[in-house]
Amino acid sequence: MKKLLALMLTGVMVLGMAGCGSSSSTETTTETEEAEVEEETEEVEAEAEETEEAADADSDLAYVQEKGTLVVGITDFEPMDYKDEDGNWIGFDADMATAFAESLGVAVEFVEIDWDNKILELDGKTIDCVWNGMTLTDEVMSAMDCSNAYSSNSQVVVLAADVAEDYADVESLADLSFAVESGSAGEAAAEDNGLSYTSVSNQANALMEVAAGTSDAAIIDLLMAEAMVGEGTSYEDLTTGVVLVDEEYGVGFRQGSDLVELLNEFFAESYADGSMTEIATTYGIENSIIAQ
Amino acid sequence: MNLIMQQLPIVIRSLNAGFVQTLKLFLVTLVGAIPLGLVISFGSMSRFKILSAFTKTVVWIIRGTPLMIQLLIIYYFPGLVLGNAIWGGGESGRFMAASVAFIFNYACYFSEIYRGGIQSVPVGQQEAGLVLGMTRTQIFFRVTLLQMIKRIVPPMSNEIITLVKDTSLARIIALQEVIWAGQAFMKGSQGISGAIWPLFFTAVYYLVFIGVLTIVLGRLEQKLNYFQ
Repeated sequence: MKKLLALMLTGVMVLGMAGCGSSSSTETTTETEEAEVEEETEEVEAEAEETEEAADADSDLAYVQEKGTLVVGITDFEPMDYKDEDGNWIGFDADMATAFAESLGVAVEFVEIDWDNKILELDGKTIDCVWNGMTLTDEVMSAMDCSNAYSSNSQVVVLAADVAEDYADVESLADLSFAVESGSAGEAAAEDNGLSYTSVSNQANALMEVAAGTSDAAIIDLLMAEAMVGEGTSYEDLTTGVVLVDEEYGVGFRQGSDLVELLNEFFAESYADGSMTEIATTYGIENSIIAQ
Repeated sequence: MNLIMQQLPIVIRSLNAGFVQTLKLFLVTLVGAIPLGLVISFGSMSRFKILSAFTKTVVWIIRGTPLMIQLLIIYYFPGLVLGNAIWGGGESGRFMAASVAFIFNYACYFSEIYRGGIQSVPVGQQEAGLVLGMTRTQIFFRVTLLQMIKRIVPPMSNEIITLVKDTSLARIIALQEVIWAGQAFMKGSQGISGAIWPLFFTAVYYLVFIGVLTIVLGRLEQKLNYFQ
């Protein structure tokens, strides 16, 4: 009994080691290949590199097409990616991603991720891109290869429509009391401009503060403001004022991915034929789309 | 209060779906870790020095590192280092990776409880069995095993209850268990945003389930009392 167990466990151990062994042998082959390339003369080198690229397993396009699915990392974020009543992912980003996957000839799969782990997910190949109204910050740009910006977003002041004219520039805002979402870009904007503000739990609450008159104005995302204030909304008396900070949204891929170029081309095409604007209109963000 | 009553059906539906994931992970871990723990405990009690040293090292590594790190390594390591994301990005892949991490982790804890249980059965019984001409396998299954089970029920109950709550760690690899479902309403999901209470409400799910478990494990302990 014990001998049998010992044998089994040793077997498991050996298997584990064999696994390690095979991966290191692949490494050795790659090194040899590299060494060979170095030995080649200049003219031949270019050719050799080309062949290597064609056979390169690192081509993201080849990798995605082999799998047959483009795995898109998202979070629940209206109006970019959110679920309809049947539980399907819709939104501007979701629809664009579906169309892009179609152009590559693969299926699209949306996976909800922990936003803090987006770079880990991407590099670990558990997702193929981050496509979720991602602000192109320095941090994001250094860790991923990003597409061209496709949508703009800003932190904008929202205030009562009847006093909006009096507060048309940043200097005049100093008299107002603000409501901002705690930890948001809006809060940072209020702090940078030296405004007096109260932090509330979310952007919807910040708007409610303005409507209720407990704060004079709020600083929220432009995309959200466009969808929530003005005529035909529940906040008809409010309007958008001064833009404090501009940001842009882009799609993130693994570093060195060849899908970035393809997506930029896809964006250009769909902008040119109007389909991008059409989708944006469906979700009420047509004013934020960036010309490709 | 009125607002909560409006949100309640949506939140409950979402939390139920999350709790199904929690339960699945709990059950799969138990089914996998209970037998695997026995194999590991034999390994660490083995007379073959190399095998027992190896097993003890594995148990030391697994018990000596946080489960959260183990989850991250098991899920992301294949793709990051070996360039082959064996689990895939979908929900089932995340569940499988989480199951493997939990089974290994809990098997190591269980193995030490088993070892304590087996070694607490007096050696004299084994010697008596040998004198009667029984094989070691027969002695283990007919003499030691049931007495061991009786003795390990209280410490195992402890581990099993801890396991229920540890499943929440799987949210680090975006397994959408009940706490993930509760937290989603804080930043906004299905038209509800900035709602904090669903996160705290998940505690009720754990509390009720562990209440049921406590009763079941208590019954089991009583049934095994005839060994005394």
